[in-house]
Amino acid sequence: MVSAELLLTLKNLNRSDKFQIMQILISELAEQEINLIRSELAEQEINLIRSDQDYPIWSPYDAVEAADTMLKVLKTAKNQDHA
Amino acid sequence: MPNTQLYSFVPTDLSLGEASFRPSLPLNLVHQQNSVTVSGLLDTGASVNVLPYLVGIELGYIWEQQTTSLNLTGNLAQYQARAVLIQAIVGEFKPVKLVFAWTQATHIPIILGQVNFFIEFDVCFYRSAFQLAHLILPHNAIKIFW
Repeated sequence: MVSAELLLTLKNLNRSDKFQIMQILISELAEQEINLIRSELAEQEINLIRSDQDYPIWSPYDAVEAADTMLKVLKTAKNQDHA
Repeated sequence: MPNTQLYSFVPTDLSLGEASFRPSLPLNLVHQQNSVTVSGLLDTGASVNVLPYLVGIELGYIWEQQTTSLNLTGNLAQYQARAVLIQAIVGEFKPVKLVFAWTQATHIPIILGQVNFFIEFDVCFYRSAFQLAHLILPHNAIKIFW
């Protein structure tokens, strides 16, 4: 709760000081927001990726030779279908 | 015959909730007189389709009769693999011929990869909206929604 005394003090500041106070407050708010987002992200990560869980990756990534061979098998089969 | 179909992300573990959602596509695999209903993991990072060993057996394939050897990568590199052709039926779409790397690994999902699932089907994902859209073109399209 902002006290009446503090409000009166702020109101009595000159223009330059008011801007300075505003900048300080905005900067603090931005930092608090960033920290809040960071903690929310960290919580989401904990919920989505658990340390006690295995996450095996079975993708045959970059198996281009196998892919090439399989395409040839497919092409041969399609040619036989059309023959 | 429709050219679009919608599906939802599938939770694989209810206790994990959103973390366990998978883009799984139900499909029928047919070989000769054998047919199995399975779920395939839509894996755009996979170079090829992958068929687990036991599903291949269920479809009636005989390992020794498959002569086209394949070298897979990643965790699957340690297992031998053979090329097999399978008729696949997705929803109401007309059957397509998919080529799979039939691996001796047993504890893996069916993987639907670039060759040739994503050659046959165009797929869009809308995970941020809890939606997954499988767009299968030119003659097929599937969308999956949560």
